[in-house]
Amino acid sequence: MKIRKFKSPLTWTALFSLVTVSAFAAQGAQGSAMSDEDFYNEEVVSATSIYDPFEGMNRYTFEFNDYVYMKVLQPIVDGYTAITPDPVETGASNFFRNLKYPVRLVGNLLQGRMQGAWVETGRFVVNSTVGVAGIMTPADSINGLAPIKPEDIGQALGSWGIGEGPYLVLPLLGPSNLRDLGGMIGDRAVNPLKEPFSLIDDWRWESHLALSGTEFIVKSPDILERYKQFKGSAIDPYSSMKNGFTQYRRGAIAE
Amino acid sequence: MLHYFYRFIILLCLIAGSSVSAQEAQREKLQSTIDAALDAIYSSGSSSLSDQEKQSKVRQVVEANYDLDVIIRRAIGRNWRLMSEAEQEEVLELVKQLVLKAYVKGLDGKSRPKVSLGEVTSTSSSRMEIQSTIVLDGQTYYVLYRLREMHSGWQIYDIVAENVSVVSNYREQLDDHFRKGSGAELIARLKELLQHEEINEDTKI
Repeated sequence: MKIRKFKSPLTWTALFSLVTVSAFAAQGAQGSAMSDEDFYNEEVVSATSIYDPFEGMNRYTFEFNDYVYMKVLQPIVDGYTAITPDPVETGASNFFRNLKYPVRLVGNLLQGRMQGAWVETGRFVVNSTVGVAGIMTPADSINGLAPIKPEDIGQALGSWGIGEGPYLVLPLLGPSNLRDLGGMIGDRAVNPLKEPFSLIDDWRWESHLALSGTEFIVKSPDILERYKQFKGSAIDPYSSMKNGFTQYRRGAIAE
Repeated sequence: MLHYFYRFIILLCLIAGSSVSAQEAQREKLQSTIDAALDAIYSSGSSSLSDQEKQSKVRQVVEANYDLDVIIRRAIGRNWRLMSEAEQEEVLELVKQLVLKAYVKGLDGKSRPKVSLGEVTSTSSSRMEIQSTIVLDGQTYYVLYRLREMHSGWQIYDIVAENVSVVSNYREQLDDHFRKGSGAELIARLKELLQHEEINEDTKI
């Protein structure tokens, strides 16, 4: 029997295409073979398992936080936004974001993201000088220094393969988990304005409280706005927040 | 023999080409739906409309192009079977109203967002993902639309905003609800959410 050999490049290309397209068609057939009903019942891959052994206590803390946000913080935020012109609000927010540069830098370095560390450093230098202590953000318009997603130590721990641990709701601070709580302590350690490694000597507690309080209020309008939107359409706000936080953090670590 | 073989390959290439044009058609359809929904809120003629009228206009636009039942059914998952037929119908309707209310309220007082659709990725022959960026009040958000070819055509089955899947989020809430609650209680909760004028009323857990 004579076996015909395929020597023509066109023949080889055609054969390769046939195999590739056949594989794709098989994959497609598998996907489309699923009925609409089965599709509705299909497991949703993301965030299907969140370890929440302290649910009872977490729900109680969530309810406490909600009360504080809506009854205590919201009136303060309303007052702050009413008396503060928008450009001042934006400037204050930029100022505090700029101060957190060391946290973002360490977050990038611990994950080996040299490009991110470079962008964050460039933005800090430009915004701290030309942008008057970070009140303005002239770096936004410089090629290669556009804002990037912030990295923190919790993300670095996640990228090293450290598990989330149990889901936690922290008083006032909101959703977290054991790994991110550790990351938050690390973030605080590299923040030059926070104890225990503050660069400012003779740090009186009144000054410390004033700065922390101002930072909290400045960040609050944006956070409260998002919180209310999240909560407003939630059937179970606790469950929604737990799932949303976990998906967000898992996505940030995977990026 | 080889002649037929080449014809077969050309046919396969044509099929692959039609898949690319299907992606482009879905991208254009999504873009025009988003633009029309935003027009319903931001056009000069809409400025005098009440929130409910705006919700109604947005609903008309969306339902003319997509079946909202798909994304809601996907969020409900197996919990669907735990409700009676009447409850199923009512839940579908109430969730639609809630989603539209959140959409219109969420944009209230904000300047018109700029939505740009990006790359379309086929995840299988019956599923695709369309990336988008939304610039709203100077902030950029990344949103992914997931579509599947259903019997009723290509439908949106999930929206992933900043890594948070809407379907996964509601599936978790509903799974938690049905562990100890019923369809009737879900309907009561949805009605309660809809009755609130503001979306920041006290939380009941």
